Parts: sequence; C-alpha cells; structure tokens
Amino acid sequence: MAGRMKVEHLWVRFTGEHGEVQALEDIDFSVEPGEFITVLGPSGCGKSTLIRSIAGFQKPEKGRILVGEREVSDPGPDRLMVFQEFDQLFPWRTVLGNLTYALKVKGVAKAEREETARRFIRMVGLEGFEKAFPHQLSGGMKQRGAIARSLALNPEILLMDEPFGSLDAQTRAILQAELVRIWQDVGSTIIFITHNIQEAILLGDRVIVMGTRPGTIKKIVPVPLPRPRLPETPEFMALWHELYSQLEVHRFGENGKVESLVSGKD
Amino acid sequence: MKKKPSLWKNHTFRQVLFVLAFLAIWEIVALSKIYPPLLFPDLVSILKALVESTASGEMVQRTWYSLYLILMGLGIGLLISFVMVALAMVSDIFADFMEAMVAINHPLPGVALLPITLLWFGSGEWGIIFVLVHSVVWPMMLNTYAGFRSVSRTQLEVGRNIGLRGLRLVTSVMVPAAFPYIFTGLKISWARAWRSLVAAEMIFGASGKDGGLGWLIYQRRFFLDTPGVFAALGVIILIGIVVESGLFTQLEKRTVQRWGMVVTRS
Amino acid sequence: MKLYRLLASLVLAAILLTACAPAAAPAASDAAPAPAADAPKLRIAEQFGLGYAMLTVAREQKMFEKYLPGLQVEWQTYGSGGAINEAFVAGQVDAAIMGIPPFLIGWDKGIPWKVASGVCVMPLGLQTYKDDIQSLKDFKEGDKIAYPAPGSIQHILLSMAAEKELGSPTALDDFGVAMAHPDAAAALISQKDISAHFTSPPYNFQELSAPGIRQIVDGTQAFGSDFSFLVAVASKDLYEKNPQVYAAFVLGLSDAAAFINEQPEAAAKILAPSFKLDEATTLKYLTWPGMNYTTTPYGLMGFSDFMVNAGYIKNAPKSVSDIAWYNVVSTVGEMQGETPSALEKLQYRP
Repeated sequence: MAGRMKVEHLWVRFTGEHGEVQALEDIDFSVEPGEFITVLGPSGCGKSTLIRSIAGFQKPEKGRILVGEREVSDPGPDRLMVFQEFDQLFPWRTVLGNLTYALKVKGVAKAEREETARRFIRMVGLEGFEKAFPHQLSGGMKQRGAIARSLALNPEILLMDEPFGSLDAQTRAILQAELVRIWQDVGSTIIFITHNIQEAILLGDRVIVMGTRPGTIKKIVPVPLPRPRLPETPEFMALWHELYSQLEVHRFGENGKVESLVSGKD
Repeated sequence: MKKKPSLWKNHTFRQVLFVLAFLAIWEIVALSKIYPPLLFPDLVSILKALVESTASGEMVQRTWYSLYLILMGLGIGLLISFVMVALAMVSDIFADFMEAMVAINHPLPGVALLPITLLWFGSGEWGIIFVLVHSVVWPMMLNTYAGFRSVSRTQLEVGRNIGLRGLRLVTSVMVPAAFPYIFTGLKISWARAWRSLVAAEMIFGASGKDGGLGWLIYQRRFFLDTPGVFAALGVIILIGIVVESGLFTQLEKRTVQRWGMVVTRS
Repeated sequence: MKLYRLLASLVLAAILLTACAPAAAPAASDAAPAPAADAPKLRIAEQFGLGYAMLTVAREQKMFEKYLPGLQVEWQTYGSGGAINEAFVAGQVDAAIMGIPPFLIGWDKGIPWKVASGVCVMPLGLQTYKDDIQSLKDFKEGDKIAYPAPGSIQHILLSMAAEKELGSPTALDDFGVAMAHPDAAAALISQKDISAHFTSPPYNFQELSAPGIRQIVDGTQAFGSDFSFLVAVASKDLYEKNPQVYAAFVLGLSDAAAFINEQPEAAAKILAPSFKLDEATTLKYLTWPGMNYTTTPYGLMGFSDFMVNAGYIKNAPKSVSDIAWYNVVSTVGEMQGETPSALEKLQYRP
C-alpha cells in the first residue's frame, strides 16, 4: 500500500483547564504499511493526544509526523479516525447515505459510490440496515457503520480511538474478532488506542505501552502470537503479565481493565 | 372483553367531532337570538361573507398580501439572524454582544414597538416588516446560536476528517446538526410573526392598497360587518392550521423525528 | 358511557361559549342596576376635536344637570365613530356625538338609535404639502391620504369628491390610510409619510397655519352645500324609557351651542385647557370662518343617498323620521304641498 508512517520526536503541549499540560514528550516510533499497532496506557497518558496528533486535530509543539513522504499538518481522508462516541455517524443521513456522502466528498464518481458503500456495509455485517438512520441502530451497529465509512474511503491509516470502549463486553468481543478479520481482508494500517491489556494483545502486531505525565513511550512489545488469539493460552497470559508490569498500575478492576487513581478522561 | 379500536379512540376523529360540536353550539346560540346578530352572527352569514369576499377577489388579495409581508419579514429576519450567529461563532466578543441584544429584545412584544416604528418608518409596508423582523430575529438568533453551539465535536471532526472545510463544513455538518434548533426557532418565529402581523396591520392602519387580513378586519369593523370580521378570522385560523399543523408537522416528521434528533431544551 | 362523555363535553362547551360571548348585550343593559339607587344616569360617548366643544362646555357649566338635578353623567372618549358604534352595540353608552356616516352605518346594521340633535357645521378639507398635487387627479403610486377611519365622515367626503372629480367614489380607496387626527396632522406638518390628510377642526386649521400646506378639497364643495359635521345620537332605550334624561341631554346641548355662539371668549377660556391650546388660538379657531354651533341638522339625508349608491350601506332612510327622534323631525318640519321648505331641502345634497 502506502509508505510507512513515522512519528519523529513528537512533543505536544496544550493549555487545559488547569494551565499548561505537557501531554506528550519525545514520542518516537514508526509503523509499517499494513501493520496493526495497539497503543496501551492508563487514563491521562496522552494516548488520545497521540492519535489526535496523527489525525491532524492536534498541532505538535516539536517534532513531526510523516505519512509516507508527507508531513501531517491537517486532518485528511488519508488518516481516518473512528471515535469512541456513538454519534459519529451523521444522524440526518441513512447508513448508506453516510457512506455515499463521504465518498462524494472524497470525489468518487457517482456511479461507484453506492456499490462501494454497499460492499463495506456488507463487510461490517450491516446488510439490511442500509436505509436505517443511526438512531435506529444499537451502539455496536453504529460503530460498525463508522468503521465501514472509514474503510470505504480507503485511508492509508485507520486511526481508532477506543472505538469499542463504550460497548458491553460481549459486543466488544465480537467486534474485536471482526475487526481482525476485516483488517486481514483489507490489509490497511491500523493504529488502535485502548486501555484494556487483553484488547491490546488480541488485536495488535505490536503494543506500544505508554506512561503518564508527561506521556512517554515506555516500551514497544511485539506480539508474536498467531491469530486467532485465545486469552487462555499460557503465551497470552505471559504477555499479559509483561504488559501489566509495564503499566503504572495503582489498582485494577475486573477483566484486566486498568484504572488510574487520577480521575478525569484521557 | 376486547373491543375493536373504535372510531371514538381516534384523536383526529375526536377533534373533528369537537370542532363540529362547537360550530353546532355556535349556530344554536346565534339562531336563538340571545345576542343580537351584530354581536353573534350565524354561520350561514359568516360563510356568505367568506364566499362573497373570496369571489370578489378581495379576501384572496388581502391574504396574499399578508403572506407576502410575513415572508418578507421571515426572510429578512432569517438572513439577519444567520449573519449575526455566524459572527458570534467567530468572535466571543460579538457573541456576548449578541446575547445581550437578545436578552434585551427577546421579551419585547413586537406590537409594543408600533409607536416607535411609526416614527421611524411611518405607516405602511416597511413599518410592518420592521415589526415582523423584530419578532423573528431574536428567537431565531437564540435558537440558531444554541443549535450551532450544540453541534457535537465528534461530528465536526468527522466532517473535517473526511475533507470538509469552511463553508462546506458549515452547510453540510453544522446546519443539519443544528437543524432541530433552527427548526424550533423557525416555529417560534412564525408564530410570533403571524400574531404580530395581524395586530400591526390593525393598529397601523395600513393603507388601502397595501393592506392584509388585519386591515380587512379593521375595515369590516368600521362598517359593523361582523360576519365579515369572522370570515377574516376564519381565514387567519385556517392559515395558522395549514402552516402549523400541516407544513411544520410534516416537516418535523420528515426531518427531526425521522432522524431521531430531539431537542432536549425547549 | 361514550355518549355521556360526549354530552358532558358539549354542555361544557355550550357553557363556555355562552359565558365568553359579550356580557352586556343591549337587551340586557337597562336591567343593570345603577350604582346610586335611582339616580338618573347618562352615558355619553365623545371624541377629540373642536366639534365636541359643546360637550365640554355643557360638562363644565353643568348644563345637563340644570334640566335634571341629580343626573349622573358618565363620559367616555373613543377614537372613532366606528368605535362608538361598537360601544352602542355592546350597550355601553346611551348617547354620543359623531359624524353622520358612522351613525348611518350603525343604523343600517340595526343599532336602535336615532339623531337627537344637530351639533355643528364646520369646514372640513383635504390638505397637502406636495406641489405636484393640485387636484385629486394628481395622486399617484406611493401617495397616501390619511383619514381617521374607513366609513368616517372624512372618508365619505373624500369619496364624494372622488365621485365628482374622478367619476368613481372608490377611485381613491387604494391611497387611503387610517390614522388618528393628531398623528396624521403631525406627519403632514413635518411633510413625511403621508401626502395628504382629510381632517376636521382644529387639525385642518393647524395644518393650514403651517407653511407650505394647502387645501385641495373643501368638504362643503364635495358635499354640495353645508352639512352637519357632527350630530348627537341617542339610543331608543334612552329616548323611550328615560325621557327626562333624554330631554336634559337635548336641552343641555342647546344651551351649550348658544353659549359658544354668544360668548366665544368665555367658551374659549373653558375649552383652552382641554384642547391644550392657549385662549387666543382657541378663540381664533372657534370663530374661524364657516364655524357654526347649531342644533339644527344639515344634510341628514344627503349622506345616506350617497352611501347607499356607493355601496357603503344597504338601507336608505325614507324620511327624516326614520333616522331622527321627534324633536329633530319637528325642527325640520314638513311643508305641505309641492315645494319643500328651506330646512327640508337642507337635509339633501343639492
């Protein structure tokens, strides 16, 4: 596909509610074309800032981000973001309309739009809901729709900011499996943010573990396990413990979900 | 015992029945001559007045003129509010200015401005349009601004992500996303303008040529043509029903309700 | 059950409807108890302007009470003859001073009232400040002619002039705009918003005293002869059920008319504060050429003929007695033979 993506010595600072915050400090890594990267870290580690910087929503203080040869300066359809929020589909358009409209903005010929849109709707398992409006869909279906819209635009990189974070455990498990299948089909590059260790291992080729305040990369852990991956295997468990020890864990809840004592959203 | 849903359970049927009952009672009271016909004309004479004034073209011409005035008022009012809101979205200082203006002017009934209007614009068309613009512009600004402010950040970012910028982002994302608010503003504006219009025409004493339904009522009143007054009232009610229960309800069904975009704030 | 509910709703609606309808119908008005036991009461409707001077003088000099001691007079001021019509329909007044045309509109629609007295003959006219308007033919798109209300004497006189000069009584209706006298006079004098104003004293006097304003239609010429600018009207109930109050009203008006004509200086002194003018100006207006306070009506029948022909009213009175109470009928008199008397002829347009 396209060239590799590089994040070069990225520093990000912004003014928050409590004054200046150094969100990211000297982030440096690269992603190969077609690679599935998961970024793991506790709340407030700046992983959202990182992915928003790659998307072009956040201006860096120092350093740069390269997609192939081009430096990122603005949001663009070559790096599409799938958000955690359920309202990312335009509510005034049908599922099909959301896809065809995005294709129209991209400049795809009218004749191709509907066929492409239908193909990706099928791919995420939403066939039969083409004419439905977003408010008629469940949370999981909305996220499927958003993924379909992003994939339909054929981006160089798909950026996913905890897209399954607001879903129930069962739906999340199903979507995780389907995302892997789709990624294997399409072969696009994916950067996937999560604070769930298990999710990071299940999905990623490599896991970037981040530390907090300021956000830094603590370690980049390759996941050599063959897919489909099963959490019960000893290899998986070993990896889980390795990642767990890397995180600055103050306490943790069920299902390996790490929570920071520091409140607030990341 | 389960009964078939009877006609009586149908809301529309019940409402029509009540209107018919009201008319029947009206006719009984009128024909009983408890009150002199000058105060309480019977339906036949009202209907006759309606048919005569319609046949002579007068009712049609007056109605058309009233509608022309209100469309002018709505058009100019909408234009001004959109420009003001656009400026407010760009500048915080202007937003404060606009909100102060709304706070001052919103509670002021248009009719109360009539004496001032007479001084500034004289009697006639532009005075009435001024009053109409006044009744349109403040609720419209209030609602449009609230609407634009309520547009979800995610949807805006999705818009920028797929490649929308500037005016296209406004028309393709912000306007439809704020539409429930804009629509509410439109409904309030129409209701206010329609009420102000009739009052303004009557108090202003619009000139003979440039006179709408209010002027027609005013004239009929001076010739003690009570059935004529009621005929004009009937037309006013009819237009109110057509616009509010017909046009607006249909539009609401096709947009806000269909899209599941409910405005939480009234 | 269903039927019961429907019935209950209907009864409720009927009660609401009956309760909402205007409370004081004329039929019920005399049944309303007077506040002070049996004190005779007279409710008079008036408007603004020099034509109402007789009422002001009669009030200040207690001329009605002179003929009926203990009479309680209630004064009500209205903005137009049309509003007085409505007050009569609603049973809120017993007597009024108004122009003949609005009176005829009410009479045509069945208000039980007749003329009780003449009040005044006065110069009315159409004034303009526009140099390019020399006659009624010169009004064009965008011009506005102000008068107090549709159906007012000013409107009817303008229609008469339009019929004479332009061939159709409605020729100028498109230019008409209803404005209260003071507003329209202010607009005309400041030469904005309106092109011309058909008005009555003192507003036409004020306008003609301002620079650059001319009269282009004279009311007397439009009518064809002198006419009563205002007449006093009284309801059938007052005339038939309260004859003493009616008599006090008519005689009080006569006293007031004589007082103004005989002692204009004294009248000016009484009237000046209510007109918000100084005494000298008030006297000047009271003695303006063409002013005549008289209880003899002029032109009672002339207005009705025109208004029937122009379609403003449907019924024409056949004789003076159809629209005037006996004291007026007897004033006009009835000359036997082929030739009517001067006073009889005076009631028609020449």
